[in-house]
Amino acid sequence: MKRPDPVSLVVNPRQRQFEALTRAHTGDLYRFAYWLCGQDALAQDLVQETMLRAWKNLEALREAEAAKPWLLTILRREHARLHERRQLDTVELNDGIPEQAAWASPERHGDATELREAMSKLPYKYREPLLLQVLGGLTCDEIAAELGLQSGAVMTQLFRARQQLKSIMHGARAEVSHGLS
Amino acid sequence: MDCLEFRRRLGADPHAHDAEQLAHRAQCVGCAAAWDRSQQAESDLFAALQIPVPAGLAERVLLTQATGERRQYGRRRTIALAMAASLVAAIGGSLLWREFDARTLPALAVAHMPEEIHSLDLTQPITAQAIEAGFAARGQSLQGPLPTDVTYVHDCPVGPYLTVHLVSRVGDTSVAVLYVPGKQGGTGRDFHRGDWRGRVVQLQHGQLVMLTDQRGKQPFDAVASTVAQDWRVAIDGLGGPRVSQL
Repeated sequence: MKRPDPVSLVVNPRQRQFEALTRAHTGDLYRFAYWLCGQDALAQDLVQETMLRAWKNLEALREAEAAKPWLLTILRREHARLHERRQLDTVELNDGIPEQAAWASPERHGDATELREAMSKLPYKYREPLLLQVLGGLTCDEIAAELGLQSGAVMTQLFRARQQLKSIMHGARAEVSHGLS
Repeated sequence: MDCLEFRRRLGADPHAHDAEQLAHRAQCVGCAAAWDRSQQAESDLFAALQIPVPAGLAERVLLTQATGERRQYGRRRTIALAMAASLVAAIGGSLLWREFDARTLPALAVAHMPEEIHSLDLTQPITAQAIEAGFAARGQSLQGPLPTDVTYVHDCPVGPYLTVHLVSRVGDTSVAVLYVPGKQGGTGRDFHRGDWRGRVVQLQHGQLVMLTDQRGKQPFDAVASTVAQDWRVAIDGLGGPRVSQL
């Protein structure tokens, strides 16, 4: 008779669910956290805290489709809590992001760098809904519910966020061309 | 939908494509071009935000969680073991105590009473000869004058003890009196078990247990003192030491 794998006896369904959750969403959570706080180490801490809190409240997660918004909500709260404790500067992003071909093709490298810099200068009130939409994949209504705002107000913030991104990038280009001329 | 509304919605949510937007895009060249530019910009933005994730981050999260869980498990197990041990000790202690308590003289005396409960209803005094015969059955001889109002005598086994079971009346209260010849020491005291109130006193050569479930006009303390003194005189004699309540 085949003996059961000792590991399978130990890992219960809850633990397996948590592992799947961690492996599926850690990357997205890290990126969201990084663009929220702008610090690599802090972003990693936020992911850790978020996942540990998720583990404690795993029973609250009923559907797999709801996992990502649920985790983003936890992460935002952790970030807010951390922000209250440390009075973090949430606007200033560091420039220590390693270059990697996976996220920027050579011909678009310049655009990506400008975009990241512009993103780092984007005010927090615009950056947060934009991240929820672009990285989190949330709809305007979902973002409104998440931020406790009206859907129309969120649409306005998102519109302005993109306008400001363009404006910051154009400003940077103008500075560069002015410096060259 | 006009161009202004189309551009406003496009700027807020480039991926939205409701029927109105699609219809306007199909008929407006300028907005169609804006839509194309918006999709490209959105793609660039998404790509720019895709920074590399630190290697092993998911594994570190899992390790932290598993380590914490393991520690919690150990703590919970220790607490559970301590609680189980406490429970076993409490149950064991309780059983031991009940076992011990059931063998005490007050407990045995109370347990004996239902067998002869009607003896407390007797009111006619019995003769001195009957009382002396009851003590003689236990190899005991009386040393002093007998109490006057004794209504019952019998040689009864109470647990392991061979006793002389008597009933003395004080006023309107009947008190069962169990004399245990030869018993010394032990725990003597007033006791209260169920409806029974009682007292154990040490005499010279044995112990006297008095108990009643009746509430007469006199308080039990006074009744018990009177009965104890009467039987101390009768059993130990007039010149014996004063009865000591244990």
